[in-house]
Amino acid sequence: MARILVAGSGILERPETRISLEAKGYQLIVCAEIHRAVGVFLEDPPDLLIVERGFSGAGELDLVRVASGCLQKTNIPILLVLGAEEMAAGIDWQLLPVDDLLARPVTAEELLLRIQLAEARRNRVFDNNPLSKLPGNTSILNAIQKALTSSVSMAVCYVDIDNFKPYNDHYGFSQGDEVILMVARVIVNVIDQAARGRSFIGHVGGDDYVFIVPEDKVVEICDKVLANFETVRNLFIEPEDVLRGGFVEKDRQGRVTQFGLLSISIAVIPTGHGKFQHSGQVAAVASQMKHKVKALEGSNYLIDQREEYSSD
Amino acid sequence: MEDAKRQEFRNALRQTKNLPTLPGIVSKLTKMADDPDTTTEQMGKVIGQDYILAAKLLKLVNSAFYGFPQRISSISSAIILLGFNVVKSLIISASIFEVMEDQDVELWQHSLGCAVVCNVIATRMGVKDPEEVSTAGLIHDIGKIAIKMELPSEYEMITRLVRERKMSMRAAEMEVLGLDHAEAGGWLAKGWNLPKKLLEPVSCHHDPRLASTEQLNSAIIHFSDIVIRGLGYGHAGDNKVPMLSKRAWELLNFRPADIDEILEQVEEKLWDVKGFSLEIKAEETSSTVG
Repeated sequence: MARILVAGSGILERPETRISLEAKGYQLIVCAEIHRAVGVFLEDPPDLLIVERGFSGAGELDLVRVASGCLQKTNIPILLVLGAEEMAAGIDWQLLPVDDLLARPVTAEELLLRIQLAEARRNRVFDNNPLSKLPGNTSILNAIQKALTSSVSMAVCYVDIDNFKPYNDHYGFSQGDEVILMVARVIVNVIDQAARGRSFIGHVGGDDYVFIVPEDKVVEICDKVLANFETVRNLFIEPEDVLRGGFVEKDRQGRVTQFGLLSISIAVIPTGHGKFQHSGQVAAVASQMKHKVKALEGSNYLIDQREEYSSD
Repeated sequence: MEDAKRQEFRNALRQTKNLPTLPGIVSKLTKMADDPDTTTEQMGKVIGQDYILAAKLLKLVNSAFYGFPQRISSISSAIILLGFNVVKSLIISASIFEVMEDQDVELWQHSLGCAVVCNVIATRMGVKDPEEVSTAGLIHDIGKIAIKMELPSEYEMITRLVRERKMSMRAAEMEVLGLDHAEAGGWLAKGWNLPKKLLEPVSCHHDPRLASTEQLNSAIIHFSDIVIRGLGYGHAGDNKVPMLSKRAWELLNFRPADIDEILEQVEEKLWDVKGFSLEIKAEETSSTVG
């Protein structure tokens, strides 16, 4: 059952609005107070957010920013409710990144239709990874293509977790999922702070991720991702394995082997200016780089330094 | 005390939602959050000095939604995983909490002081993750504030007993509620999905023998609580120093010379923290948040 957080009070003034939504199986959580709405959003995130403009001073701006800023939750549709005079004043959609708007007075029928439309639209464009909620392959290819034509040089970074397969076998898939999520959170949060708005983060699947950041930020970001990963990692490994410096599990051939602790490898490919024509070329270079960086012990990143490539 | 009554208190405490935060801390953090140059680490450092925000942060990161139930036991890891925006939102949502009163500021200082001692001892003993131990020390008295918020009339009776019959807070809690703040804190930690490494030191800080796997950490919190009360830094509701558990003393296995060195290091570290306390108190008087 979809849960809708309503930040404001005016829109549900007429009881029939509420009744008609609840009759359709929507669960409504109404917060007339902005701080409480932020708290609810964080601790018990809804499936959809309706925000009334001006219901709490300028506070709803904060709420929308919180809602759209938590990168994990970017798939929660946000509807904004406006009065006529606020519409006349115009709105900067960069500052208020919502998905749809409703003009007061809002009828019960319109509200229901708008909610259903928002849900349908979300399902249409949704190629996100179900675990990390990060964009998937279609979005990744688009983002790489966009980076190739960007006016500033970008760096396409391929991340994967070393020893993930034996970790998963040893600790179980549910804990494996936690590690996948942990690495996603580490990457998202580092980039969010260092290069927000100019970056992209995608999840290829399993323990493979791609992020794209401005080239001049890539060293700072990779260093930070590795450092944060090292800080958090041991919480996901049993103390005795941490002491031993690895865990014992069968390898792909079924032989009992000691594997090192989890680490991450990042292959970094700067896009330069016109160095690549299409994303397939980037992927080819990436696979060579991945091979090199994975051969190194522990967590590492390697930046491709080549100026040009042979045309084969 | 009959079970029904205990159960009633237990249910009330389990529903604890809003814990009061110092407006001084919130306004300081709000300022930091608005400054684009503030790093997540800097905010973590401030949050790491407030037991309520620390508890809220740990509750959030260990909640089912974030996907790491009973896993994250240190503030720095919590912040890495939640990220700047969520930490900032946590601060926004904290600003609605009731304003702390003077005696709560004392409890805040006691909690912070206890965390400082825990860190000194854990580092000295070569514990694997000293931050985890100081985090447990920071939130060890969380049950006290929950009792105050959720059971105000019982809390009134408890403080009267402490005042009039010169009882320890814990003995008064047992008399009025049939349970103490350590047990109450343990329920909270459990309800919030906190890892055992934090839960047990909170619920067993008066008797480390009760801990199943975290006896050493519980013993460190237990002893740190005694040290910080003995030093008279902050105030934890009564002016009594708790009894030292024999088991804790055996586990810690300190020589008298160790204690001298520990006290010296603690004094030094408290000095930094005192500067921060004064700053917060100054914010408190000029602050309009809350």
